[in-house]
Amino acid sequence: MAIDRFLVPKASSWMANNGENADIAMSTRIRLARNLREFKFPYAFTEDEALKVDKAVSSVLVDKGKDLSLEFTHIDIHEISQLQRELLVEKHLISPHLAAGMHSGSVLLSKNEELSIMINEEDHLRIQSLQSGFHLQEAYQTADQLDSMLEQSLQYAFHEKFGYLTSCPTNTGTGMRASVMLHLPALTMSQQITRIIPAISRLGMVVRGIYGEGSEALGNVYQISNQLTLGKSEYEILQDLQNMTEQIIEQERRAREAILTNSPLKLEDRIYRSLGTLTYSRLLTTEEAAKCLSDVRLGIDLKLIENIDMSILNELMIFMQPAFLQLYSEKPLSANERDVTRAKLFRERLKQEYKINGDKEGEDSV
Amino acid sequence: MICSQCGERPASVLVKQKRNGQLIERHLCHVCAAENHSLNLAFEQDPLAIHQLLSNWFPTQSPSVNPFKKEVSVCPSCGFTFNDSLKLGKFGCATCYDAFESNLEEIFKRLHNGNTEHTGKIPASYGSTLKLKKEIEELRKQLKVSIEAEEFEEAVKLRDQVRELNKELERGATHGD
Ligand SMILES: [Zn+2]
Ligand SMILES: [Zn+2]
Repeated sequence: MAIDRFLVPKASSWMANNGENADIAMSTRIRLARNLREFKFPYAFTEDEALKVDKAVSSVLVDKGKDLSLEFTHIDIHEISQLQRELLVEKHLISPHLAAGMHSGSVLLSKNEELSIMINEEDHLRIQSLQSGFHLQEAYQTADQLDSMLEQSLQYAFHEKFGYLTSCPTNTGTGMRASVMLHLPALTMSQQITRIIPAISRLGMVVRGIYGEGSEALGNVYQISNQLTLGKSEYEILQDLQNMTEQIIEQERRAREAILTNSPLKLEDRIYRSLGTLTYSRLLTTEEAAKCLSDVRLGIDLKLIENIDMSILNELMIFMQPAFLQLYSEKPLSANERDVTRAKLFRERLKQEYKINGDKEGEDSV
Repeated sequence: MICSQCGERPASVLVKQKRNGQLIERHLCHVCAAENHSLNLAFEQDPLAIHQLLSNWFPTQSPSVNPFKKEVSVCPSCGFTFNDSLKLGKFGCATCYDAFESNLEEIFKRLHNGNTEHTGKIPASYGSTLKLKKEIEELRKQLKVSIEAEEFEEAVKLRDQVRELNKELERGATHGD
């Protein structure tokens, strides 16, 4: 399979929107950390060992992947450009840590980009399964299946008491981090989120906004994930996260209803102003774009806006990032030029939506 | 001050990042700061900054409150000392877990809400023996509970199950795993 298809600014299937609660839960991710017993871990291994690990894991994935009808493309991190690495980071297919390229490493991607296996990131293997919407079980099953296939050919570092051994003690045990991306505009507007975040952390889970500590999340998008990897089985971890996420979704719905009841005009005004900004502006910073996108997405959820598809938030949050914009315009861009390009991208994307779904005002004036 | 990333807008945020173990401070404008953060959201390694967490209860300056045993353990396989691991917040290899085992309980307790034992998936190659051992352990716990509750009929059943599994374990051991 050609490598190039992964390195173009296009949507991946997990950016679509589907299933129950997909209006609030944007995407689901499962990550399993694994190491090979006979090699030192990436913080201590030699370049020679790094190469051997890469070879061993890649060949198993490419050979045995077929048994699961999975076709993997191997991308050597040192064989692609800095910009292409950044694009893969922006698409959530590799981590910034792997992109830094400190030693030999690579990523294997399934055709639909729902599975990615990073080799020689912080651990020898990072199996990642991405799903659109809220699908913890499905995402885990995909990752688990691949993991079970791999362990038939690879000797994992596993300890009777501590479980899967990882570089970082925060991952020891199941090696699993499960997370759900949530769009929580109403809980943010009503500031309830500031109460929810500390309450959740006491239950072995973490909620984070894009600004790290969650006070000012970019685009009102938060990530909830499990913090514990020891003492609970994968099943229990997923169940707890499922329950907690459902509760947050329920609270977000209630907060939306409350705002809609108490100040409908204010909310409507805010949503339409944001739609106007995205449809007509000529300079768009990341922050403003994210804020307006969040409003528009809320407008779609509340059926105030009907001619725009709801996947727009998922997709444009990814597309508006620097590497995406630069590959989209096929040249390096300064920060100011990126604001121009971002505005243009949004105008074009919305114009496309209006064409598909019809809009009297938008069509000729955009 | 001008943003060190774009060199265009005035810097408004001080961003601290750990790179290769070194703390780098950068003055960024709000735009570049936002872009940097959005990049890292999906991949932040540690839900809690482990460096911070560990340094909170292991202040290197005051060895008197060091909760760890004073021994200087070195991993025979990768050469990491326990202190190396602690400073970096990472292990160098699988053998580190054995070499530093006496101090791990304390670390895991802090990091995993008091838990120190894996109860999840077991690789098939370790599977048969380990699974049996864990099952027996679980049954013994239930047995103790039922004896305490004076449910003797149940206790007899559980005891027989434990015996049966123990036999199986012995058979498995002689046949190899
Ligand atoms: Zn800047
Ligand atoms: Zn070691």
